[in-house]
Amino acid sequence: MKILVADDSRVMRQIVIRTLRQAGYDDHDIVEAEDGADALAKVTSEQPDLVLSDWNMPNMTGIECLQAMRASGSAVPFGFVTSEGSPEMREKAANAGALFLIAKPFTEDTFKEHLDGVIA
Amino acid sequence: MTGFQDTGERRRTSDAPPLITDLLDEETVQSIAQEAWSALVGDDEFLVPLPGGLPDDALSSWVEIVGPWNGTVVLTTGRGTAEELARCLLAEHAPPVLDEEDVTDGMGELANVVGGNIKAVLPGPSVLGLPEVGTAPTASSPTDTCRTDLLWRGQALTITVQGAAGALTEPNNQQKNEVPL
Repeated sequence: MKILVADDSRVMRQIVIRTLRQAGYDDHDIVEAEDGADALAKVTSEQPDLVLSDWNMPNMTGIECLQAMRASGSAVPFGFVTSEGSPEMREKAANAGALFLIAKPFTEDTFKEHLDGVIA
Repeated sequence: MTGFQDTGERRRTSDAPPLITDLLDEETVQSIAQEAWSALVGDDEFLVPLPGGLPDDALSSWVEIVGPWNGTVVLTTGRGTAEELARCLLAEHAPPVLDEEDVTDGMGELANVVGGNIKAVLPGPSVLGLPEVGTAPTASSPTDTCRTDLLWRGQALTITVQGAAGALTEPNNQQKNEVPL
């Protein structure tokens, strides 16, 4: 399985990847994207099985990336890992087709809770 | 006749934006920061609520909040402490010699996470800006500032939640804003 991790912070991408491994998802290929536009391009070029994306990023936000993916017909499972988790944002994420929204800071248990049904 | 005399004076609080000191206290800020430190910096990393002197080479990171309350959440610590934090965040991926980008990225992300969770306890809806790193923006009004002094590994780290509402609480600034468009 290939997982695309999108965040404009390299530090946070490393933390997300480390937490994936700590949660037991350590035998998957990881691809990194540094903003929403990069993620959108890599959804096409890398064909990931899951996208984990920050919301607030320069160039293209996570929600814009998700909307562009769905508009282009991509049904790749998509989840947010973001520093904000307000009810309004969760509703907006769900309406756009996101499977879940994990608020930072997170733990490996938070990842297991949201990803166990998504990652085989 | 004794008793209450109505002077006719009214505090029209509905006309003024909320002050951060009415919305947030230091204990809440410390709790939010501690949760971020435990999850991101390390399980056994603790923030102690004691003041410490910030060194001359202090570095700040901040995020802006725009909504019913407007202002910034600013993290400030010494440069050496910022580098130590970046090493903890990167863990096994930390290079022997840290890039400047790693330090600013790490500090920015800590401000982003702490700021995002502070935004969550403030009245909404609000918008969170992207993190910035450098010399901290000046607090506009002492009455619209919540400062939390902490120690991490014995080194000073300050979190300041400071309003941008100075224009509405300081008459001089209000005049400055009355520029014809």
